Amino acid sequence: MISFKNVNKWYGDLHVLNNINLEVDAGEVVVVCGPSGSGKSTLIRCINRLEPIQKGELVVDGMAVHDKKVNMTKIRADIGFVFQSFNLYPHMTALQNVTIAPIKVRKLNKKKAEELGREKLTRVGLKDRINSYPAQLSGGQQQRVAIARGLCMEPKIMLFDEPTSALDPEMIGEVLDVMRSLAKGGMTMMVVTHEMGFAREVASRVVFMDEGQIVEVAPPLEFFKNPQTERGKNFLSSILSH
Amino acid sequence: MWGFYFDELIRSLPFFLKGVWMTVAVSGLSLVAGSIIGFICGILRAGKSKILRVIIGAWVDVVRGTPFLVQVFIVFFILPSAGIELKAFPAAVIALSNLTASFICEIVASGILSVPKGQREAATSSGLSSYQQLRYIVMPQAMRAIMPPLVGQYVLLIKDSSVVSAIGVVDITRVGWLTVQRIPEGIMVFGLVGILYFCVCYPLINLSSYLEKRMTVMTVKL
Amino acid sequence: MLEGFNFRVILEYLPLYGECFLATLWLSGLSLLGAILVGIIACAMRLSQSRIISKAAGVYIESIRSTPLLAQLYFFYFGLPSLGVMLPEWVTGVIALTLNSGAYYAEIIRSGIQAIHLGQIEAGISSGLSYFQRMRYIILPQALGMTIRPMLGQAIVLVKDSSLLSLISIVELTRAGQTLTSERFMPTEGFLTTAVFYLIIYYMLKAFSNWSEKRLVFKEAY
Repeated sequence: MISFKNVNKWYGDLHVLNNINLEVDAGEVVVVCGPSGSGKSTLIRCINRLEPIQKGELVVDGMAVHDKKVNMTKIRADIGFVFQSFNLYPHMTALQNVTIAPIKVRKLNKKKAEELGREKLTRVGLKDRINSYPAQLSGGQQQRVAIARGLCMEPKIMLFDEPTSALDPEMIGEVLDVMRSLAKGGMTMMVVTHEMGFAREVASRVVFMDEGQIVEVAPPLEFFKNPQTERGKNFLSSILSH
Repeated sequence: MWGFYFDELIRSLPFFLKGVWMTVAVSGLSLVAGSIIGFICGILRAGKSKILRVIIGAWVDVVRGTPFLVQVFIVFFILPSAGIELKAFPAAVIALSNLTASFICEIVASGILSVPKGQREAATSSGLSSYQQLRYIVMPQAMRAIMPPLVGQYVLLIKDSSVVSAIGVVDITRVGWLTVQRIPEGIMVFGLVGILYFCVCYPLINLSSYLEKRMTVMTVKL
Repeated sequence: MLEGFNFRVILEYLPLYGECFLATLWLSGLSLLGAILVGIIACAMRLSQSRIISKAAGVYIESIRSTPLLAQLYFFYFGLPSLGVMLPEWVTGVIALTLNSGAYYAEIIRSGIQAIHLGQIEAGISSGLSYFQRMRYIILPQALGMTIRPMLGQAIVLVKDSSLLSLISIVELTRAGQTLTSERFMPTEGFLTTAVFYLIIYYMLKAFSNWSEKRLVFKEAY
């Protein structure tokens, strides 16, 4: 589904992605973790070309994302992206937020789009917040709308960039619940997160990154019990000690 | 003496009101033309094409770096030698529209740039095109930042319009200038001129402050 | 229009332009100093505890901001003689420019002072600093950094405003252009050269603004 082959990216002199090789199959849930500055956010932002790559090949659902000539609209329509800071459109209600792309990009008619929107918003537990504005919603609710916004495009892949990092602790659970149910439903997901409990429960693999490189890839139980590298060990001990 | 001049002044009121109408006409036309051009240029100025950004930036710089009076003279005196015959009124509207457009361009551009980057990223990620992003996501939010300075700009427009009296357009200022030749009481005549401009400007200034307060409250809530 | 651009004539008139350039600098510079002074006084009055003083300053500032400079200029030019006060044109011009920009400076300074976080003032009060000490060591240094940009912006406006002085027969840059037009029927050469000189002043002030912002603005510690 997603294939990184020798992918490299620089910000000026900074080598943010260093020889990334990774394959993600359909239906897999991959959790990406690592210290800050390790390049994990950059990694998933390259998948829908929010960030371009300079070297290597990145193929998503059969399309070459690294090729500048490829039109990204079709690819982006099939990928849902959830941001750390939600990025909901403040001048639109929850329903409008989730239906604008289906109407404008997938060309659905308004009625069908709204039906779909209502269904997805109910799915994330916000049935009675359909006409609320983002300013009237809590952080957890906003993030769930953001997830519904992604789901309304009926994507093949859902990408999450630290979805719970900006939330107050008591709201993290409701968002993780939604993500868990998505994973159990067979969605292909790549999640950048520090929530190790989530990784342990639903991830098929954990990718540990540091300084732009993929250091370890392993199923979660293995990674948490037996990290193979020094850096992996250090990272785990630093986050698990909280 | 004063009493006599005062009577004369009252007798000139119709003339002054004609001047008010002329000021409003020149300002109004320039407002419409300047806004249209200004919005388009502002969107381009905040857009992707570097060449366009630089060209428009250069135009804005030149308009801002030279006095409006000189611009009016250039339009009125120089364009005819390029073959375009111009009367005072059209020349005034052209010069004033050009001035307004350059300021509105900057207001619109910075309003657009003030919309958080994350909004555009979210829109891009859903597959919305640049036009769709601008129309449905960016502009509605940018308008919040644009409205207050935009109204303020309209006030400036009315004040700047007084300069076109220098090429003979009979606006409030010109009426004052003509009247004071007959009625040599500068304070009374230009006191009236001031009051008339005040009447036209003051409501707009209040509107601008009111909008500024409302927009700030709304952004804070967000 | 530009085919027959006559550089010879410009060279011939260069001494005149040089003189007028200096005249513009001199008139603007003098008015600038006056305006800053007036601005500080008016601002202090506006922020005063006494309602009468504050209101008086408010009336002054609002009148200036709601009326065009040209009307104010004519007000003094035609009004002062009717009071029996005969002044050389350039003095009248400087008075008008000073009072006009003074009102805008008052507002700029006021917003600079009011933008300083209340917490800083409270810290100053808690340490036992007097009103003047707080002003001198805490408020004014920060206000200076914050307002340098709008203050230089207003200075640029002032220089452009000085072009209106040509309409009351004062010899400065715009007048040079008018002279070339009336003496040689060459408005193109005349006014474009004028424009170039103004642009020189504009870019110099802009460069100074960028330079001083780097040196004087203190980044917020928050």
